[in-house]
Amino acid sequence: MSDVNGTYDVCIIGGGITGTALAYSLCKLGETSVAVFEKSYLSSGSTGRCGGGIRQQWSTKNNVRLAMRSVKLFENFEEDVGMDIEYYQGGYLMLSYDEEEAEQFEKNVEIQREEGLDVEILTPKQVSERYPYINTQDLIVATFCQTDGHANPHKAVIGYAQAAKRMGADIYTHTEVLGVDVENGKVVGIQTTRGYFKCNVVVNASGPWSRQVAELAGVELPTESYRHQIFVTEPLENFFPMMAISFAGNFYMRQAHHGQFIMGQGDKDEKPGINYNVTFKFEKELAEKMVGIFPFLKNLRIMRHWSGMYNMSPDAQPIIGQSDKVKGYFYAVGYSGHGFMVAPAVSEALSELIVFGKTLHTDVSYLNVDRFSNEDVEKEKNVV
Amino acid sequence: MGRLVEHPILNVKVSGAAEHMVFYFEDQPIFALPSDTIASALIASGIDIFGFTEHEHARGFFCAIGKCSSCLVEVDGVPNVRACITPVREGISVRRQIGRGKPKW
Repeated sequence: MSDVNGTYDVCIIGGGITGTALAYSLCKLGETSVAVFEKSYLSSGSTGRCGGGIRQQWSTKNNVRLAMRSVKLFENFEEDVGMDIEYYQGGYLMLSYDEEEAEQFEKNVEIQREEGLDVEILTPKQVSERYPYINTQDLIVATFCQTDGHANPHKAVIGYAQAAKRMGADIYTHTEVLGVDVENGKVVGIQTTRGYFKCNVVVNASGPWSRQVAELAGVELPTESYRHQIFVTEPLENFFPMMAISFAGNFYMRQAHHGQFIMGQGDKDEKPGINYNVTFKFEKELAEKMVGIFPFLKNLRIMRHWSGMYNMSPDAQPIIGQSDKVKGYFYAVGYSGHGFMVAPAVSEALSELIVFGKTLHTDVSYLNVDRFSNEDVEKEKNVV
Repeated sequence: MGRLVEHPILNVKVSGAAEHMVFYFEDQPIFALPSDTIASALIASGIDIFGFTEHEHARGFFCAIGKCSSCLVEVDGVPNVRACITPVREGISVRRQIGRGKPKW
């Protein structure tokens, strides 16, 4: 390790939404000695494969707060970061087909309203009056929040990366981190396929590979990656403004800026592990289900079908903070399928934690890994 | 443009009027043979503009094998139908598609 290729204050592992947003946030705070290391191309991991939804309708107070802060940052994205990312607040329509879940929805709405979020509860009749193109058969209740929405994840990453570069950060794509150098319990550098870099802080923002990347520094993270699939149809005129989602119904769907419908579902039989293959079973199941609920999809052809990883934590909430074993080792991982939407707020909080040692805008201490040493873990229920 | 009536190599069978069926393009009746696709019947009737892009450029018959999306028309209100590989049926109503197509529910 005699060849030192550079020295940075902060080295970020992962060029997805978290890594690039964090580089941007750090630069905004004046910490411009920052480098992002991405083993493939920017947004090649979970960010670029995600559905792109941005919602605030969560089941715990803290998650609602975090998401509301994130929406504030998305609202100002074009002005602050300097790129149009197709951000559109068309709302999130959450459909419930299960009695127990419907009761939970009403409790969630109470929590959300206490936090100042404007959420409507809709009966099936109201849903079919407002959205005549949705078949409301078996629907029990729906909730709708207009300020939720969606954006183009690739553009968000590129926007953050370009803004960070303009302020002085370096971005190394196609550069894999091979080792994290720890001396006397403190991070001192990283070994990459482009040589050795000295640094004081390493941030694990590696999404699907979070556990393996943590192991490089001898840090344990209780995350596990699960494959989720998505397909996209040919386009129609834009008429479907919101993201429609159901946990009991197990689906989500939105219409992208150019008119295509992007949709996905979870699979309970999926085994943990990184796997980017796709299955015909998924295509068949999802297409059959979605045509029943959204009859206008009937004559649309599927254009593309891909998969990405949910980096799951034991309670389906992100794991954010600093390792107490290795000084200078930070992580923002285990987003459990909703990383893109909260990443701006998480990155802001993490940058404050790195620079000031405490958060200024959003409290993320409840997302520290220590919470899993507690036996009873309270799981976030609003996850597909 | 019409149909071939003779060809130096192929035997061209000229169909009798009895075999014709009728469908509608922009409400105009169009004669078609049972073996026609929508596109071949339209071309045989001298119609080569099948629709317009959202920027008002004319679109029509191009790849002829269902790949290029240039010939998309609306059939009985359903958008994104590929005229080149869709057989004609008696009485269907075909319209020019403008832009990305309107949803039907």
